[in-house]
Amino acid sequence: MTQLSGFALLLLATAFLVETEAVGRSEVSVRVVPVAQVIRIPLASLADEKTPPVTGGDSPVLSYYPGAADELPEGPDGFDAFDDGSLLISDPLRDRVVAYDSQGKFRQSWNVGFAADSIEILSDGPVMVREAGTGLFHPFSREGKPMQDKVASAATSLEAQRLTPNSGSVTNGKGNQIPVRFNQPGRTLVSLENLAIDRSGQVYVALESTTGQATDSIDVAKTVRKYSADGSLLCETANLPLDYFIPPVDELRVHQGKVYQLMTTSKEVQINVWNTN
Amino acid sequence: MQNSTLSARFWLSLGLFFLCLSGMRHALSQNTSTIARLPQTTRAEAVERAKRLAAHPWVCGSSNLHASCSRAYKSDWTSGQHITGIPYNWGGGDGPDLFDQKLAKGLAAGAHSRYGVLSCTAGIDCSGFVTYCWGLSTAGHPYSTSNLRAIAGKPKYNWFTDMKPGDALNKAGSHVVLFTGYNSDGTINVCEASGSAARVICHKTTWSRYKGYIPLQYKGIDD
Repeated sequence: MTQLSGFALLLLATAFLVETEAVGRSEVSVRVVPVAQVIRIPLASLADEKTPPVTGGDSPVLSYYPGAADELPEGPDGFDAFDDGSLLISDPLRDRVVAYDSQGKFRQSWNVGFAADSIEILSDGPVMVREAGTGLFHPFSREGKPMQDKVASAATSLEAQRLTPNSGSVTNGKGNQIPVRFNQPGRTLVSLENLAIDRSGQVYVALESTTGQATDSIDVAKTVRKYSADGSLLCETANLPLDYFIPPVDELRVHQGKVYQLMTTSKEVQINVWNTN
Repeated sequence: MQNSTLSARFWLSLGLFFLCLSGMRHALSQNTSTIARLPQTTRAEAVERAKRLAAHPWVCGSSNLHASCSRAYKSDWTSGQHITGIPYNWGGGDGPDLFDQKLAKGLAAGAHSRYGVLSCTAGIDCSGFVTYCWGLSTAGHPYSTSNLRAIAGKPKYNWFTDMKPGDALNKAGSHVVLFTGYNSDGTINVCEASGSAARVICHKTTWSRYKGYIPLQYKGIDD
């Protein structure tokens, strides 16, 4: 009799565990995309130079100042990628934007004549480079030639809403709402950003979450999800590294199904790439 | 003999206890008086000051491009350039009126730490900016990111949903910004004296850029 009861209890416990596992799996069954490529660009400190940096130039090395007490490091904080994976990265301390191929090999330097802190490559259009000191965007051709007058803003931002600690919504290309469900045990949704909608209507959303437990300081995890045009969750990147040496103005870009992140360390600029295709 | 030792220990402990208590009371009363001395300000006033500094228009004259006290100095601006926002000036704490006066006197507009703390430049840095927004005097730059905790406490509420405009996000030894509100997507709006933007700006941002920061609530805030 005792053995029977024990067996029944064991069955119950197993059923419970299987059920729990199934629920957990339904939340994590989405394809998790690991980082596919880290493009590394050399970075050099200007702190030891006795004279102000020479602006422009054709050096493949980007520049930074390390900052000081009560001052953040300054350096490359804006970027974007072309459809073929080649990159434009701001080098504000030398008043230039630098072009690299998809492997990080130097291609050319655009001597824009101002400190740039944001770059946006418009689809089939110009490259908008923002002047850090004024906030104005300067249009350039894709080859780096200055174009017509500067404008106050580049592309329009896409809509997103955080509704509850476990849900939100984003707008797809047709203006319809796509629900975003966030059911990670022990974590709550803090924010979501509608990063991009590609040509086939797929929507890319950045999610920030927290454990909700008391911590000494702000700590969030960040991922990027891809949804189909009709709102099905297709995949999600692994957690993004967030220990920024130079806080990026342009943190994330999406082109041709690839998610790009600008991550600067004290030694190099890294462009982390996740391929969601 | 044993009894007298015990008795001595008892009185010694009691004495130490009252000494500690008196020290605590003294510290508490000092802290209370510090708070009492802090000027009161409303959240709306703090945000209004921040936006006023970010919207302050000025024109860079040729005399504002050079810092007479620094050979290495290089200006962020060009002569005749129209700028919106008080320039970033490491170690500075100038509000709009003082900045305009210094500009008129021919001081250089803004500076970064790489040139040192300069007496011949005008503008405001990150901690000077938050101090100014809270309605405190910035003369002598009394507060930095490392000692803001003396006048601002760490709130116990949920930082991601319950911060209020006029609170700050601070990373000691690094940077501080003034929080001005949440967006419907959960991201935040802040105003800051930004070195990379070379001036005071207000903008939308995400939490990932504030990893390691601590929210602070000014003790003189009048809720």
